[in-house]
Amino acid sequence: MFCYQCEQTFRSDEGAGCAGTKGMCGKDAATADLQDVLLHVCEGLGQYLHHARALGATDAEGDRFLLFAFFTTLTNVNFNAARFVQLIAEAARLRDRARALYERAARAAAKIPENLPGAAVFVPASDMNGLLAQAGEAAIRKDAAIVGEDVIGLRSLVLYGLKGVCAYAHHARVLGEERPEIYAAVEHALDLLAREPKDIEPLLEEALALGRANFVAMEALDAANTGAFGTPQPTQVRVTPVKGKAILVSGHDLKDLHEILEATKDKGINVYTHGELLPAHAYPKLKAYPHLAGNYGGAWQDQQKEFADFPGPIVMTSNCLIEPQARYRGRIFTAGPVGWAGLRHIAEGDFSQVVQAALALPGFPEDVEEKTITIGFGRTAVLGVADKVIEAVKAGQIRHFFLVGGCDGAAPGRNYYSDFADEAPDDTVILTIGCGKYRFNKHDFGTIGELPRLLDMGQCNDAYSALVVATKLAEAFGVGVNELPLSLIVSWFEQKAAAVLLTLLALGVRNVRLGPTLPAFLTPALVNVLVEKFGIQPIGEAKADIAAALARAA
Amino acid sequence: MFKVELLTRDGASIAFEADATQTLLEAAERASVYPPSSCREGGCGVCRVTKVSGDAELLSCSSAALSEKERAAGDILLCRSRARSDLQLTATFDQTAIGSAPEPVRTARIVEIAPQGSTTLRLVLQYSDDPTFGQAAQFVAGQYAELAVPGAPIKRSYSLANTPNWDGLLEFLIRIQPGGAFSGYLRETATAGAELIVHGPKGQFTLDESALAPRWFVAGGTGLAPALSMLRQMAEFADPHPCRLFFGVNRVEELFALDAIEALRAGLPQLQATVCVWKPEVAWSGFAGTPSEALAKSLKEEGPRPDLYVCGPPALIAATNSVAAAAGIAQDRIFSEKFSPAEGPVEKSTEPPGRRHLWPGVIVG
Ligand code: SF4
Ligand code: SF4
Ligand code: FES
Repeated sequence: MFCYQCEQTFRSDEGAGCAGTKGMCGKDAATADLQDVLLHVCEGLGQYLHHARALGATDAEGDRFLLFAFFTTLTNVNFNAARFVQLIAEAARLRDRARALYERAARAAAKIPENLPGAAVFVPASDMNGLLAQAGEAAIRKDAAIVGEDVIGLRSLVLYGLKGVCAYAHHARVLGEERPEIYAAVEHALDLLAREPKDIEPLLEEALALGRANFVAMEALDAANTGAFGTPQPTQVRVTPVKGKAILVSGHDLKDLHEILEATKDKGINVYTHGELLPAHAYPKLKAYPHLAGNYGGAWQDQQKEFADFPGPIVMTSNCLIEPQARYRGRIFTAGPVGWAGLRHIAEGDFSQVVQAALALPGFPEDVEEKTITIGFGRTAVLGVADKVIEAVKAGQIRHFFLVGGCDGAAPGRNYYSDFADEAPDDTVILTIGCGKYRFNKHDFGTIGELPRLLDMGQCNDAYSALVVATKLAEAFGVGVNELPLSLIVSWFEQKAAAVLLTLLALGVRNVRLGPTLPAFLTPALVNVLVEKFGIQPIGEAKADIAAALARAA
Repeated sequence: MFKVELLTRDGASIAFEADATQTLLEAAERASVYPPSSCREGGCGVCRVTKVSGDAELLSCSSAALSEKERAAGDILLCRSRARSDLQLTATFDQTAIGSAPEPVRTARIVEIAPQGSTTLRLVLQYSDDPTFGQAAQFVAGQYAELAVPGAPIKRSYSLANTPNWDGLLEFLIRIQPGGAFSGYLRETATAGAELIVHGPKGQFTLDESALAPRWFVAGGTGLAPALSMLRQMAEFADPHPCRLFFGVNRVEELFALDAIEALRAGLPQLQATVCVWKPEVAWSGFAGTPSEALAKSLKEEGPRPDLYVCGPPALIAATNSVAAAAGIAQDRIFSEKFSPAEGPVEKSTEPPGRRHLWPGVIVG
């Protein structure tokens, strides 16, 4: 195996990358290799769909499969090797169908179908050992010695950015929002990767094109979430448990949460969100369920302790799963793209077993003293008070905005983000997005006038909201986004964060501070490109970075 | 054994013992102390602590998890260090960050007690509702529990034969030992509705879920129970692994649970079961011999080498080990649980040659 797609990849003096028998995330070598093979077969599928689309023929099932298949390969999503064997077979079936679709479309247009090279003609083996033996052909670094590290780094950036786009687009799709331009972009990127590009420029362009596609995906997701569940409203969420039977739902999938809320209606079971699902409480249609009791626990990397202590079943709806401990293995369920060998999986949205488990498990024996946090400052809420915000900026009450966004993770250097929030001067506003906020969202930041200093805009899935707010504020002040008194302090962990970063770059947002470390797949030369073209900087020391941001703005 | 003292940031002192072969994280978990950890391989730094006194061997780890500077300051990673003397450590986390999982002790009532073959009893218990654990029967397929008779000095360990469930049911297959204390209780005193005390679940004889090899189960007598549990779980989860079962008894009249084996096929169509009778004195059309002999025969076939899950008397384990070795199956792909010649799996083979992780905190033999 070789994998260096996420921030926690193994780093040593010799270089970075998880190799050997297991990755830092717990992904074993066989699963990693099978994921590579799956992506390779998907490249072939993408090639045919891309060519068919150019002739006006499309295959919705193939496109949807691509989103799902890529999603399963994100960090901390699916660790079940046997599942990948099935997905590879499915990908091959769809690829053969896409080939036929393309050939028919070509003939209908009186053209001779091209013989597509590379992944298009790769024949996956029929059994596990054969597939594992083929992993070398599918590995991201297979021709590193020929094309050089910069090309490999950019191919990786495209591949991992693509994974993020697919994850967001899949979330939108399950709620009925699809955009043809996302599928076109996914297929385009796969076709490019399948041609094993050797030049820097087209790869850089592709990365930015994916950034733009990701903006569309986030827009679709925003439309899906608000369309299904209403516009998020500022909401107080209880973060301490109440007495009674309990279910914990983690991940990002609002649809699964909704189905669980329906399945538990009037059954005396309280439903808690975990980690990334916190923003669900701000959606009117979800918060209308009185048994959506609160948010339990913090970011994903604390789940082993938190899940062990939770007295009911746990449902992982999307990412971020880590190796389940024996103490809760029997009561954790996976759903959708998530998987771990030996855990119960819910494929078709039937949560009745979870309800049974909740009734059989003890639940919380008593109420814990009520504590709440306020969330739900999506674009509508923030823009609803835009006048006040603009006034406060003009009156000098708000000197600067810091968007502290992105993932949390286990690495020690991540204290930077809580230090940053704590050290930000009182006349600054902190906007948060993603899991990084769990390090400080229970701290008291006070208010500026009536405006809370900490405004939680939601999941990483809600980055769209932040971009809309930035764009509207820029319009209101008559400046570009880069001239706003706004600094982006971004922490990344996995591939959705890579996609969001590409979106920021594609939209021309400059001077993003990125940490806790730079992606291992970016070579020094590529980092230089990012620094020169986009002003990206690594995080330093919180106090100094705040001072630099304020000085730049002044 | 060395004594390890871990002082948390909020001043709690937590002690556990460690030997020189296990990492400090493994040693802690064995003592039901679960310090924060993530990668468990020296890459994330989550388990970093500072050594105040004593000597520890630090295995290779990532510089991102433990920098030269931290190393120089005496920091170590629990997941990549072994004790070389008594140790005093300070942690950067609070006591609340450390999990603890005390072994459950619960009461259960007998639901069913029925003879199976000439030497075996099927015992079904149902947990009583419990404020800490609720009604559910949570365990990992392959584990065992210790059953005790309230008010009497009678205690025995038996493997669970069913799968974890929300109804609180526990199924055991118990060999009747002439003169055995628990056997005597079951035969003479026990009735439906009687209460028993259940300690556990315990044990690490469970499936290596991440392995891809076929799974072959070799079971002697009531050693069938954990194999049945694991196979039933595979059926429940529609597990695609190829699997075989070699199950044997001494005499035809001792056969039991054949209906359960047959029923498994509904969920596990790929299961091939070989029922063996060592000394068939009457007409017997199945395999005549021991499960390890049947295994030896099957291992002569072409195909990927299987993982072996073996449960039964020590002689069966020994015979299976040599058959496996002759067939080129690595020691660490044989997972075994020995029975004592008395009753049930009282002697757990947790430290045989192929000792390895199944998942964090669990060591499988
Ligand atoms: S996902 Fe991250 S931690 Fe897991 S194998 Fe890949 S780089 Fe390593
Ligand atoms: S913020 Fe990052 S870690 Fe959290 S859910 Fe999103 S991608 Fe995963
Ligand atoms: S748990 Fe990751 S370094 Fe020890």
